[in-house]
Amino acid sequence: MASTYLDELDALLPASLLDRILNAYSATTDQPGDEHLKAILDDPDLGPIARNIIVMWFCGTWTALPAEWRSRNDAAEDSTHVVSPAAYQAGLQWVAAGAHPAGARQQGFGAWSTEPPGTTS
Amino acid sequence: MRADLSGGATHDVVVVGAGVAGALLAKRLTTAGLRVLVLEAGPETPWSFEGYARHLDSFFAATSKGAESAWPPAVGAPQPDSRDVRSGDGYFVQRGPQPYGSTYTRAQGGSTLHWLGVSLRMLPEDFALRSRYGVGRDWPLDYQTLEPYYRQAELEIGVAADVADQTYHGIEFAPGYDYPMQRIPQSYSDLTLAAAVDGMETTIGDSPISVRIRSYPAARNSIPRNGFRPVGAVDARTDGQALARDLGQRCAGNTACTPICPIQAKYNAGKSLAQADRSRLQVLAQAVASKILVDAGSGLVQGVEYKRYDDPRSARHAVHVARARVYVLAAHAVENAKLMLASGLLGTSGMVGRNLMDHPSIYGWGLAPTPVGAFRGPQSTSGIDDARSGAFRSQHAAFRVDIGNDGWRATTGAPDTTVTEAVNQGLYGVELLTHLRTRLSRQVRFSLNVEQLASPDNRVTIDPQFIDPLGNPRPVIHYDIDDYSLAGMAAAKRFYQAVFARAGIDDRSDPATGVWFPTVTYEGEEFHYHGMGHFAGTHIMGDDSSTSVVDVDQRSWEHRNLFLVGSGSFPSMGTSNPTLTLAALALRTADQLETGLRG
Repeated sequence: MASTYLDELDALLPASLLDRILNAYSATTDQPGDEHLKAILDDPDLGPIARNIIVMWFCGTWTALPAEWRSRNDAAEDSTHVVSPAAYQAGLQWVAAGAHPAGARQQGFGAWSTEPPGTTS
Repeated sequence: MRADLSGGATHDVVVVGAGVAGALLAKRLTTAGLRVLVLEAGPETPWSFEGYARHLDSFFAATSKGAESAWPPAVGAPQPDSRDVRSGDGYFVQRGPQPYGSTYTRAQGGSTLHWLGVSLRMLPEDFALRSRYGVGRDWPLDYQTLEPYYRQAELEIGVAADVADQTYHGIEFAPGYDYPMQRIPQSYSDLTLAAAVDGMETTIGDSPISVRIRSYPAARNSIPRNGFRPVGAVDARTDGQALARDLGQRCAGNTACTPICPIQAKYNAGKSLAQADRSRLQVLAQAVASKILVDAGSGLVQGVEYKRYDDPRSARHAVHVARARVYVLAAHAVENAKLMLASGLLGTSGMVGRNLMDHPSIYGWGLAPTPVGAFRGPQSTSGIDDARSGAFRSQHAAFRVDIGNDGWRATTGAPDTTVTEAVNQGLYGVELLTHLRTRLSRQVRFSLNVEQLASPDNRVTIDPQFIDPLGNPRPVIHYDIDDYSLAGMAAAKRFYQAVFARAGIDDRSDPATGVWFPTVTYEGEEFHYHGMGHFAGTHIMGDDSSTSVVDVDQRSWEHRNLFLVGSGSFPSMGTSNPTLTLAALALRTADQLETGLRG
C-alpha cells in the first residue's frame, strides 16, 4: 500500500512540504530514541500531516486538514475520504483488534466463537 | 425491456415493490401458475453475483458506512438516509415534534439488502395487547392462526435457530418442528457475557426477571437440518442457473450484515425472486408506482399508473399503466400509505398513514474487563429477551436487547474513532498499537429496542408543496414518543446498567462523544434514541372497517381487489423486528390470493 499512500500525499500536499516531512523522517531512522519523531509530531506544520499518515495506515482514510493549517501551508482544499477500497481493507486497525476488515477477509463459519488473540497472554 | 401494458391485463397480479413481501408473493403466486408483474421503484439489483459484488466496493469506498452506503438511490426513487435525521433536509419532511429515526432502501430487494437478519416471531401476547394489558390494539388474528405461516416463512427466508432456545414467553412451535438450520454459533463475546450474567435476578417494574443471554433466530445460512438446502447467492446465468451452486451457503463471518453481506449468506429478497417461476414473472425495475386508478362506482382498482425512468441519475421518465386482476401494494409501510394518499384513497376509517410505529432505541456501550473478540462474526448473534413480557406492560413499554459483535461501530464510529482519538492524544508506534490492542477487542455494545404503541397522531401525510424529482409526493412525517415508551426507555437504561455492573463492563456510554442521535426527555432525564428501521402501522389491520384500513387478509376494506401487505398492516409490533411476521402475513395473503384467483 506504500505507493498508494505516497501517491495520495503527492496529490494532496505541496511538494515542498512532502519533501520536508520525508527528509525529517529519514533523518531519524538511524537515531536512537523517539526524540526526532516527537519533534515531527510537535511541529505545527508537519505534526498534522504525520498524524494524518498514521490514521491513513490504520483506517485507510485521509482526514481533512484544518483550514488554518491549509492557508498557512498553501495547501489545496481537501476532504475526509477513504483513500481506496483496498486502503480500507488494509487498515491496521483490524489487525490491532485481532479481527478482520468488516466486509472482507472473512474468517469462516464459527470463527467468532473462538477465543480472540490476546486473551490468555 | 419496455412493457406497454396499457392495452389490458396481461398479468393476474401486479405487485408494487420487490422487497421481502413482494418477492415472497411473486415466488408463491408464479409457482402456483399465476402471472405476476412486479413494479420496483428503485434500481435493479444485479442478478449476477459479479454485479452484486460491485456494491461491496461502494461500501468499502464510502466515508460514512451506514446502512445505505452500499445502495445509492436513484434520482427518481429517493430514500431516507441516516444522515438526514440530523440535517432534517432529506427525503422525509420531518414535522416532529420528534424526528423519526429510521430509514429504508428503495431498490430491488428492498431493505433486506442491508438488514441484520433477525427473524424473531412475535410473542402470542403481542397479538392481544389490549385484551391482556389494556394498552395498544389487538390483532384480528392470534398467534396460533399465524403459526403455520411462521413455519413457512422460516423455510422461505432460511432461518437458523434451535427451538430449544426459542421456547419462552409462551412461544409455541408445532410438535416435532425445528428451524431449517441450526442456530448460528454465539460469539465469544456472548459466551463471556453469559458466563458473567446468566441467571442474574432483577426486576422490571414489579416483574421479576431472570437474565439469559439468548441466541436469536437469524436469516443467515448455517448447518442445515433434515435435508434443508441453504439458499446461497443469486447468480443468474444464460444457461438457466438462478442461484450459485455453492456460494453463500454458510455465514462466513464478514461482520457486514449491514450494509451488505458480501457472499449473500444472509437472506435478501432477491433470493425469493430468483426462485420464482421466471416464465410467469416480470420484474420491472425503475418503475415508480404513482397512482392507483379506481372505478368510482365499484371501488375496484383498474390499474396502477407508474413512472418509468431509464437513467437512475436523471428524472426523465415516461408514464405507463399496469393492469391485472388483483393489485398488491408491497412497497413499504411508508410508501404504501403515500401511494394511497396520492391516489386520493383515504378510506372511511381515516386511518391511512396513521399509527406509524418504530422501536425507538437507546445504546449502552462499555469496555469488558478482558478481550471479548469484538469486530468478528455477524454483527450480533445474541440478545436478551427477558424484558419482552411481564405485568409491567400495562404500565410501560417492553424492550428487547440486541448485543453487538461489532464493538462501538454504531455508537461512536469505532474502530476508526478509537484510532483517531488515540493518535490525537499523541500516541504512535508501539504505544499506539498496544493501546488499540487492549481497547478494540474489549468493546461491548447493547442496543435496547423499546416497544411503541399505535397512535393515530404518529402519521405519514403528503403535501403538494413537497414533491420528489419525478413529481411524486415526499412523505411528511409527524412523530412523537409517548410516556409509555419513554418509561420503557428509562427502565431499559437501568437494566443495561445493572447488567454491565454485574459483568464488570466499564460503562463508557457518553452520547456527547458518540454518534449524533436525536434526544428526548423523560422525568428530567435525557435519552438519545435511534430508529431500528422497524416501520409499522400505516395501513393498520382490523376486523372493523371503521377503525382499520385492511382486513385480516390484508385486503382493503373499500377496494376488494387491492391488498396492502407488509408491516404497515401491524396493529402492534411488540418487541420483535417485523420482517418474519410480515413475511408470514404475506404468505398467508398469498394463500388467499391463490385460492381466489384460481377458483
